[in-house]
Amino acid sequence: MSAFATVGGSFVREHLRAPLTLALLVVIPVFFVLIFASVLGEFADALGGTLAGGAATSAISAGWAAAFLCGALAFFQVSSSRGADRRLAAAGLGAARVALARIAAAVALGVVVSAVAFVTLWARNGIAHPWHSAAAILAFALIYVGVGALVGALVSGQLEGSLLVVLVFAVDAFSGPSMTSSGGILAHGPTRDAAKLLIAAGTGQSSSGGEWGAVAAAVTAALAVAFGAFWLAARSRSG
Amino acid sequence: MRSVLRATEVRKGFGHGVWPFRRRVEVLRGADLHVCAGELVGLVGENGSGKSTLMEILVGLLARDGGDVERPNRLGYCPQLPMLWEKLTVAEHFALFARAYGMDDDTRDRAALGLLDELQFGRYRDYRVEDLSGGTRQKLNLALALMHEPELLLLDEPYAGFDWETYLRFWEMSEHRRDAGMGILIVSHFLTERGRLDRVYTLADGRTAET
Repeated sequence: MSAFATVGGSFVREHLRAPLTLALLVVIPVFFVLIFASVLGEFADALGGTLAGGAATSAISAGWAAAFLCGALAFFQVSSSRGADRRLAAAGLGAARVALARIAAAVALGVVVSAVAFVTLWARNGIAHPWHSAAAILAFALIYVGVGALVGALVSGQLEGSLLVVLVFAVDAFSGPSMTSSGGILAHGPTRDAAKLLIAAGTGQSSSGGEWGAVAAAVTAALAVAFGAFWLAARSRSG
Repeated sequence: MRSVLRATEVRKGFGHGVWPFRRRVEVLRGADLHVCAGELVGLVGENGSGKSTLMEILVGLLARDGGDVERPNRLGYCPQLPMLWEKLTVAEHFALFARAYGMDDDTRDRAALGLLDELQFGRYRDYRVEDLSGGTRQKLNLALALMHEPELLLLDEPYAGFDWETYLRFWEMSEHRRDAGMGILIVSHFLTERGRLDRVYTLADGRTAET
């Protein structure tokens, strides 16, 4: 087995061995699709937004479930293993290879989380464009791998860092497309393009090549940020 | 004797507090030391004198503000507090570090079995770190530093949590490796250990002195 497979596989196992994490992988998507969706729809209504009820809010809530879980997992990948990762890098593996293994583990977890969110959505509503929805949910997950890892690299305290991830998530979720009459607080939130795609897929509409390209660019940028954050956490400290 | 570690004029400071009340504390103000192959060298100093900071700089975990460090690539480091993954088993830790050290599977298995036997914690091979006692975690912490038989071994209070028998075995292991040509630098607190060391550096006011 290659060094990459050994290290990446160990990093995945590290998370899947936490019973509460496993339970939350199922509970959070169900909670988001069944309950958070209606709350989000009511908020959009109150703020003068046009986010349609039913299929659109359920679809985007599946994306938010994947984003929330992946952001939290990526944050804790950095914050709870910083010392051991640095030791492994200094032992000869190097910060770049540790970071790549962390990315691989985060993407693998993102696929699992997205699959759970997708199945929950399918069971709840049925999906007009299943492949589009699956890709958009995965995009939410991968974008939040970047958010969680970046916060983990910059904030050393676990309480402060996890609160910051939740804050970014809340601002992003409630300023998404169609949430307010003015188009949202953030014109360029990290998941804005993925949200448009997921709303369209949930309501049976197609998306243009440009919209898919924008989502691909956001995911690529998020994974690049995640690599930088994991690398920063695994390299020598300056102080 | 061939030198395996030479640190010259190492300086390091840390910033504390929030601007405009931020202040800088200089921990190392020009620390020098060297270790030769086949030497067991001690580093002593009061709490907060900068011993662990100097160790982290020597290993490469912490960037220095100034000075030079010459060391081999093949070194082992046992940190003061175990740097381990709570959810992974003892065997998985050996597998990860074997990859970092570039060891093949046979060499890894031989080294791991030897150390599990030598430090007497073989029955915990498939236990997760979160289920180990403090002393057993420290045995794993030490074993990971030794498994590739490095040219230079840096040990930062490696026996914290060891019982008396394991403590004595630790010194036997260190002396055996020293006699086989390994250079060892160990952070130590106890005056009683000075007799076991070939040379001792004392770190005070950010500088080292051979005593």
